[in-house]
Amino acid sequence: MNLVWKIKPRKPNKYYNVENNNPISRDRIINDLVPKRFGKRGMIWTSILIIFCLAGAYAYYRQLTQGLVVTNMRDYVSWGIYISNFVFFVAISLVGSLITAILRLADVHWSTPLTRIAEIIAVSAIVFASLIIIVDMGRPERFMNLFLHGRLQSPIIWDVTVISTYFLISLFLLYLPLLPDLKILILHRKPSVNKFHKLYVFLGSFWKGHKDQFRINDKSINILCVMIIPVAFCIHTVTSWLFATTYRPGWDSTNFGAYFISGAFLVGAGAVVVAMYVFRRYYKLEKYITELHFEKMGKIVVMLGLLYLYFNINEYLIPAFKMKKAEEEHLRELFSGSYAIMFWFAIFVGMLIPIFILITKKGRKPLPMFIAGIMVVVGAWFKRYLIVTPTLLHPFLPMQNVPESYKHYFPSWEEWAIAIGSLAGALLIITFFVRILPIIPIYETIIEQNEESQKDHSL
Amino acid sequence: MKKAKKTIRYSLLLVLVISILMPNIVDAQDASDGTPILKLQYFNINNSVQYLLLESSTKKNKVFLAQKNISYKVYLDSVSSGNFISEVKTNESGKAKMFIPPNLKSIWDKSSTHLFIVMKGDEQVSSDYSITKARLEIDTATIDDIKNISVKIFKDDNGKLIAAPDIEMKVGIKRLVGILSGGDEETYTSDSTGLVTVPFTKINMPGDSLGNLILIAKIEDNEILGNIIVEKKASWGVPTVAGEDFFSKRELWSTRFRSPYWLLFMAYAIIIGVYSTLIYLILQLIKTIKIGK
Amino acid sequence: MSLNNNENNNSRRNFLFGGIAATTAVLTGCLDNSHPFHTEESIALTGEKVKLLSVNGDVIEIDRAFLKPVPDLPTLTNDEERKGIAGKKFVMVIDLARCKNLRKCQSACNHMHQVHPGQNWIKVLGMEDSIHSAPYWQPTTCMHCDEPPCVKVCPVDATFKRQDGIVLIDSDRCIGCRFCMAACPYSTRVFNWEEPQLDPQVAEQHYSCESSMPQKKGTVGKCDFCPDMSRKGELPHCVQACPNGVFMFGDLNEDSVTNGSETFRFSDLIKDKAGYRLMEDLGTKPSVYYLPPVNRNFPYESGLENQTKETK
Repeated sequence: MNLVWKIKPRKPNKYYNVENNNPISRDRIINDLVPKRFGKRGMIWTSILIIFCLAGAYAYYRQLTQGLVVTNMRDYVSWGIYISNFVFFVAISLVGSLITAILRLADVHWSTPLTRIAEIIAVSAIVFASLIIIVDMGRPERFMNLFLHGRLQSPIIWDVTVISTYFLISLFLLYLPLLPDLKILILHRKPSVNKFHKLYVFLGSFWKGHKDQFRINDKSINILCVMIIPVAFCIHTVTSWLFATTYRPGWDSTNFGAYFISGAFLVGAGAVVVAMYVFRRYYKLEKYITELHFEKMGKIVVMLGLLYLYFNINEYLIPAFKMKKAEEEHLRELFSGSYAIMFWFAIFVGMLIPIFILITKKGRKPLPMFIAGIMVVVGAWFKRYLIVTPTLLHPFLPMQNVPESYKHYFPSWEEWAIAIGSLAGALLIITFFVRILPIIPIYETIIEQNEESQKDHSL
Repeated sequence: MKKAKKTIRYSLLLVLVISILMPNIVDAQDASDGTPILKLQYFNINNSVQYLLLESSTKKNKVFLAQKNISYKVYLDSVSSGNFISEVKTNESGKAKMFIPPNLKSIWDKSSTHLFIVMKGDEQVSSDYSITKARLEIDTATIDDIKNISVKIFKDDNGKLIAAPDIEMKVGIKRLVGILSGGDEETYTSDSTGLVTVPFTKINMPGDSLGNLILIAKIEDNEILGNIIVEKKASWGVPTVAGEDFFSKRELWSTRFRSPYWLLFMAYAIIIGVYSTLIYLILQLIKTIKIGK
Repeated sequence: MSLNNNENNNSRRNFLFGGIAATTAVLTGCLDNSHPFHTEESIALTGEKVKLLSVNGDVIEIDRAFLKPVPDLPTLTNDEERKGIAGKKFVMVIDLARCKNLRKCQSACNHMHQVHPGQNWIKVLGMEDSIHSAPYWQPTTCMHCDEPPCVKVCPVDATFKRQDGIVLIDSDRCIGCRFCMAACPYSTRVFNWEEPQLDPQVAEQHYSCESSMPQKKGTVGKCDFCPDMSRKGELPHCVQACPNGVFMFGDLNEDSVTNGSETFRFSDLIKDKAGYRLMEDLGTKPSVYYLPPVNRNFPYESGLENQTKETK
């Protein structure tokens, strides 16, 4: 706990001021950053997401009534895209801890405008990670058995525990920095946010901007930042252990925890880049999310990409060097067999090409960054698919005495609908969040823009 | 060469004829409920309890199907009310069991060979199953440090017991479902004096907690004597101590009530550490709320 | 004592049964197969006696429960089913030299457990370890490991290991996460992807972990070593069904296994025929032993005709 007290009080962001010589006025900031009504594009976007969600819900209704037979999972491939989607969500949720906690503890302040983007991505992803795991269950109505009969030896119980803990911490970390902003929103009373007035009052009416309140809040946030890092490492390490605790070729690896965490950092950072670009374009936030932010994030993505590449080489080269009997067929399928296209797509599009784009200065401009970010995220989704499915198709004993359809796997439309619906749902949470609450911390931006007002806690 | 060709031609013809006939045969079987098969067995346990086991099934396309819920009447020696043994109904596996009632004592004692007649309704479905009363004895003998199981088989001959030669039986140790031969042979046959001597070769067999083995001699499906089983306890085994530590084992595969201590310690240390911090933070939040009010 | 005949007439009693010790043995012998567990507490006694005539023409009394071909066993509680049979350690030996891929084991098992069409709890795999090694047929059941990877990962104790060595599934507990299927290196577990197609009579039956019946949608199933059959004093369905005596089942604590017609001393059999277990290197410690396919009773090819029967 000693670590907490060593964290220095926040300093003004000097990078920020270099680029914007003239501080932006307080009213201007508030005007720019309070939540806006959806435009036409916003409405279309939201409707599309809702349609995808409804399609997913209908597919799930079918699954509930008919059983998991509506999926194309069978006895050999007993985990399909539900699980790979779950791993993807868990991975992407890790970014909250990276941007918020690690950079904060490292005393890096340019990331301030990005913290809330990262946190809401983390929260929405973790919500849908939990939902998708319930979708994967054969008897979802027995979910409570996990608590009634929970067995500490099972990595699933570890996963349930750390995911719920991480969810709580992420919510906290989203909520506490929001308190000063809530006060601004309560006072603001502009038509675009007026209908949420009651919500703001409910969430933050107790925040008076008192000195002691700031002191306690700052301390709490610091504690959270320290605590969320090991918990975040846990959620993804434990998720990797769901695979690594088995004997299966491709999963039976001591490298898995680190491999998953580095991959998670990469996809999370990629997702933040994409979100940065979209919010900046759509809400005209060029003054707040500057090219400097892209420059910095670009460097981080390159670093994380190289790190993930390193673990990938570890993960594939070493077994390929030995080619143990059990691994051989699995690796050949990945490198040059039926999964080769997807495998090399994930390697090139998910890692190598983004690294090459972002390694140049020109590549770290917003648009190429956005493209690279999309590539990272899409590549990462397929990468998760490759981690789960091909392994299950290469069991130790030959696949015999089963119908032909058991020997292959391609997701059914219900699986696709549910997977896409869950992704749409996560985006929907983010979309609604942006509509209701400021995506860029208003109070902190004001502080950093106007050094003199830093001590003015009357806000 | 020519002969071979001819053979092939004939065999082809045969195949053709069979394949034409086959569907008809199969049809014929399908039309009926298959061939009914009734199996009656007599059991004599330790020369005391005796019973009859009836097994009813049908054979259809090489598959045996148990005949459930069928009533049979069984008679001793002849079909008359004085010779009635029992009326039974087969269970779901097509079996029925019956004892010989005490009121047939005079008939039972009268003869050394008895006939069992099975009636299904008014039809005699089995009338040729007969057994001769017998006595099987098992004993242990140690001669020159060699352990032997000696088994004697007698059959009733008008009230006298005489040796029964050439009777095949299993002699050994009673085990789960089966009998483990006490010697080196799978089965043994009685000699002219009705005697079987089995040198006991299964040394150090696990027995009960005192080292006792149950020795058993079993005559199975003998056409004269039926089924006879006799048992005897012998302290020829090695005492086995049942592994009582199973329910105290704390392994990763144990139940939730027996998690390994190291796991409990680690998990609870982490959970308590994290959640006490979270509770502290909630208290801090409450403090903040109080300040604001 | 269920074979209670005239308590005070001691001499007659001894004459009939050779003392109390033998009485239990008499009772256990009352079945067509001698029974391992039928001590009187394992049979649901009715308390009602029937009179019967003994071989010597004496009248004796016996509990009515023994009038059934297989006396009723008391209904077991879930707790008792989870504990297993005390003092037993079940083991199976599969003699690969005797297997010709007849798959009688499979069809009997599928029929008795009403396994979903297409799925099998027992698979007969055509194995060939490398290009130049000889192919052979390998019946594969659940290995009932002593270090079961599936049980380790189960989050809710739905699959568990019993004191008699059997690994069972409680379908009333299973949440259908399928972690056990991923964990099992022998790919022995199957999942009820849809509502199982059960006979109405079976569907109404009281669920028992020991019989694994009736199976339930959204839960995992697998070979259970038929402990319900063992309690009745019978061999598992696959052992009974195999005409070639490939499967041998028994109790390790008794050091013997039987296929119904032949009984072997387990330790001798494993020693003489160089028995082995599958994937010993994984440390799962299976309860199923294999005897290598040497001096085969059938050529590998004779089993090929059954291979085409693969359900589509």
